[in-house]
Amino acid sequence: MENLKIEGSHGAFFVPFVDFNSNSGRCELSGESYLENTSEFYDKLLEWLENYMENIRKPIYFNIKLTYFNTSSSRAILDILNLLKAYEDDGGQIRVNWYYEEDDLDMEEEIEDYIFDTDLDINKKAF
Amino acid sequence: MSLKKKVNLFSFRSILEENVIISYKGPFDRHILFVIGDYIKTTIGKNSKASKKIFNIFIELAQNISYYSAEINKLDEKKEIGVGTLVIGDHKNHYTFKTGNVVKKDDIIPIINKCELINSLDRDSLRKFKREQRALPPSENDGAHIGLIKVALTSANPLDFQIINIDDDFSYFSISVKINK
Repeated sequence: MENLKIEGSHGAFFVPFVDFNSNSGRCELSGESYLENTSEFYDKLLEWLENYMENIRKPIYFNIKLTYFNTSSSRAILDILNLLKAYEDDGGQIRVNWYYEEDDLDMEEEIEDYIFDTDLDINKKAF
Repeated sequence: MSLKKKVNLFSFRSILEENVIISYKGPFDRHILFVIGDYIKTTIGKNSKASKKIFNIFIELAQNISYYSAEINKLDEKKEIGVGTLVIGDHKNHYTFKTGNVVKKDDIIPIINKCELINSLDRDSLRKFKREQRALPPSENDGAHIGLIKVALTSANPLDFQIINIDDDFSYFSISVKINK
């Protein structure tokens, strides 16, 4: 299975950096997310994860380090977290770390809201 | 050609409050939004906490205008881009972020209801409301609404909004939020 790598970019829209590794199960989503076509972008990530969950079935270490995302990205992120939760419920092993800037209370609240929504054990890591 | 009153930019200057950092009227086109967004991040960024909040609010309100404004810019024939106004003010203890745009009369009641509902909720209820809206399938939710909830949460102040009648078909919707320094 191939890795998924997307170099983030900063222009009229913000494309987050994506590095999903099928050998190690390490997945990173970082930078800023404000896209022209949000679902088209996140569908690629969801597809990759579904494929991994079906065919590789090894642990997933999911690391999020987003400093900004708009509301339409926030829906897509919820889809990803729900998928990870479903994998866990299905016997898959996952670990989710979410890194945020220490004084960014809005981001900390967002993470708490995701924990509430998904019932996922997200490790909040302030830096 | 009709005899129009000469445009007097001095009166435009005097109706704007003091300490305006940015004022803009025109299409909310992505290139312009990029420049304004970048300016917010880099220049207002000296106060990083507030600039992050202003940037968050800017993206949501600007998107609402570019998608939902009833006034359309047709310079680019392939794309219809909403027109609106944006003003950012710098005050002693806070920033103000204001946007205004033309809306169809039919859309007024839902907008007022949504803003009033948002203002009536405390922070925890507002977070719950955001989660409920976010969980709805895309066909049942309206992007503008979750955007407004996010604006209220980010500013941590009420939405100060106003509707002004234009004619039988259109009104002007103006919204102002305060961001504490």
